[in-house]
Amino acid sequence: MTPEAQQMIEHIARLIRKPNLPIDENTPLVSSGLIDSMALVDLLIKLEDLTRKRIPPGKVQPKDMDTVAKMFATAERVGKPRR
Amino acid sequence: MKRFFTLTEALEAAPADRPFVTAWIDEDEQETVTFGEFRSRARCQAAVLRDQSVASGDRVVVLMPQGIPAMTTFAGAMMLGAVPAFLAYPNFKVEPSKYRSGLAGVTANLGAKVVVIDEQFPDDMLGHVSLGEETRLLRAGNSKGSPEEELSFRTNRADGLAFIQHSAGTTGLQKGVALTHAAVLRQVDYLCAALSLDGSADRIYTWLPLYHDMGMIACFMLPMVCHVPVVMQSPLDWVMHPEAMLQIISEHKCTLAWMPNFGLQFVPRRTPQNRWAQYNLSSLRALINCSEPVRASSMDEFQSAFSNIGLKPTALQASYAMAENVFAVTQSDLSRPSGPARIWADREQFRISHRIVPVTKETTEAVCFTSSGRLLPNHEVRIVSDSGTELAAGHVGEILVKSDCLFEGYYNRPDLTAQAIADGWYHSGDLGFYLDGELYVIGRKKDLIIVGGENLYPQDLEEIVATCPAIHDGRAIAMGLYNSDLGTEDIVVVAEVERKELLARAEEIERDIRSRVVAGLGVAVRTILLKPPKWIVKSTAGKPSRSATREKLLKEHPELNVDSQEIPVV
Repeated sequence: MTPEAQQMIEHIARLIRKPNLPIDENTPLVSSGLIDSMALVDLLIKLEDLTRKRIPPGKVQPKDMDTVAKMFATAERVGKPRR
Repeated sequence: MKRFFTLTEALEAAPADRPFVTAWIDEDEQETVTFGEFRSRARCQAAVLRDQSVASGDRVVVLMPQGIPAMTTFAGAMMLGAVPAFLAYPNFKVEPSKYRSGLAGVTANLGAKVVVIDEQFPDDMLGHVSLGEETRLLRAGNSKGSPEEELSFRTNRADGLAFIQHSAGTTGLQKGVALTHAAVLRQVDYLCAALSLDGSADRIYTWLPLYHDMGMIACFMLPMVCHVPVVMQSPLDWVMHPEAMLQIISEHKCTLAWMPNFGLQFVPRRTPQNRWAQYNLSSLRALINCSEPVRASSMDEFQSAFSNIGLKPTALQASYAMAENVFAVTQSDLSRPSGPARIWADREQFRISHRIVPVTKETTEAVCFTSSGRLLPNHEVRIVSDSGTELAAGHVGEILVKSDCLFEGYYNRPDLTAQAIADGWYHSGDLGFYLDGELYVIGRKKDLIIVGGENLYPQDLEEIVATCPAIHDGRAIAMGLYNSDLGTEDIVVVAEVERKELLARAEEIERDIRSRVVAGLGVAVRTILLKPPKWIVKSTAGKPSRSATREKLLKEHPELNVDSQEIPVV
C-alpha cells in the first residue's frame, strides 16, 4: 500500500468515527452505507491533496469513490494538473 | 409577462436565439442550447414518442440523468399533450431488484404508456422488470425524428394535466401530484411578479433535481415560461463538489438560485477557505432558502462566509413551497432592506403553550424564527390545532393551504387525496404560525425525514430494517434528527433485537442494517441504536409509536438532541 492510500484510510477512519472497524484499500464505503454522499466531498478534497491533482467535478461518480483503491484509480484516470 | 394558456405555448413564444439551458459538467465541458434549439430537439422527441403511439393524456415516465436530453424529452411529451413525470435516476448503491420493484409500482400507478431511459441506463436495473403490458421501454437516442416535422399542439388545454411531480424521494410511498397547465402558469405568474423576473437580465443557477418541485418548477418551468436562461449542474456533481456553485455563479453572473437549507452550510464548510477569494457572488440578487424550517443560523453562516466576495446583504431570501401547490405558497419580499423578517420569542411560552410571545433579541434563551415570507396572490393559510380549531395569529399549529395553484389530487389515489384535502384546504403536515402578515414554518407534524433536501418516509426505512433477521419483526423506528453541523437531518434508527443476547453482536447487526438500507433506498443511516426486546414504546393500538419512542430515545441519549429548537408536540 502506498503512503497516500494509508493516509486516506486514516482520514476515513476519523471521518466515520468507528475506530474498531478495519478498513483496507478494498473495503466498500459508499455501497455499504458507511459513508453518505454528503461526505464524499471531504474525500475528494483529501484525494486532490494527496495526489496533488485537480479532480474535475462531473467526471467522478460516487461509485468511483467506493473503495480507497478505486479513489486513487479515479484520480489517475480523470485527474488534471493543478492550476 | 405575457399571459399563456399552456406551458407549451409559452415555450413556443420564447425568443429563438436566447440561451435557455447551459449544462455545466466542468470548466472544460459545458453545453448551451438556445430556446430555438431546445424547441427543435423537443419536437424531435415528440415525433419519436408519437411513433410509439403516445397521444394526448398518456403518461410518459422520463428516467434519464439530469441534463438537456431529459428536459427536451419532457417538453416533447408535453407538446403531444401527454403527461410526463420525471423519476429519480438509479443510484448505483441501490440493489437492482429493489429498484425494479419500486419502478414497477410507480409506473403501474401512473399507467405509463412509455418509460424513456437513456443509452447508458444500467441493464441490471431493468432485467426482468415487469412494466405491465401497456408500458413500453424506449431508449432515448434510438431513433431520431425529423425536426422539420410540424406537430399540432392544439391538443393541449389550459385545464388539462400538464405533468406529474412526485412528492417524496423514496419509491414505496411516492405520490404523484397531478398538475394542470393553468395551475402551473398561475404559480409562475405569481413568482415572476414576486421576484420581478426579467428574462433578458436574469440568469438562474441550479443543481436541484428535476424530479423535485424546487428543481422542476423554479429551475425548469419558471425559466421556460418567462424565457430566462438557466445554468444547471447535476445534484450529484454539486454534492461531490459544492465549490462548483461559486464558480458557476461567478462565471455566468447568475442572479437567482434556490436551495434547501442545508446547502447554505454545506457550500462554505466544504469549500476550502483559501479558494473563496477566487469567486464573485455580486451578481446574485436572490438565493432563496426553500425549507421547512428556514434556519437563521444557516443563512448567517453563508452570509458571513461570502459577504467579502460580493454577496449582497439582501441576497438570502426565503420561501415556503410544496409539490402539492405546484411550488411556492410564500415568498419573502426581495425589497426588504434586511432580508426575511426574524422574530425572537419567549422559549417557555413557545414550548409549553405553543404561543409566540415576542421578546428582545438579547433575552436569555429567546428562540429565533425566520419568516418564509408573505403569501402569494390568491393564497390563504389557516393555522389549526390538532382538533382542527382555527388558531389566532402567533399560535403554533398545522398549516393548511388553499390557493388557485393547488393540485388536482394524487394521481390514481383518491384515497390519499381525500386524506390530504378537506373542503378545499390542503393539510400540509407542517407546523408554523402566522404573524404580522408573515408565515413562519417551524417544523413538521408528519414523520417525514428530510436529508439533504430529499424527503424520505420513515415507513420505507422501517420496513427494510425489519427484514434483518436479528431484528424483531415490526419493531424498528426511523426518524430524522437535526444535525446542526450539516444543517440537515440525520437518519437515526432504533430497533429491537429478537433476543437480548444478540446485543453482543451489535456491530455485525448494525453493518447488516446499514447495507440493507443503502441497497434498498440508496441512503446512509447515520446512527443505529439496538435495544433489547420491549424497549420501543407502543401506542394504545399496540403499534410502535414514533413520537413516544423519539421522546424516550432523546431522554436516554441526550447526545442525540443537538437541536435547541426541538419542535414541541402540538
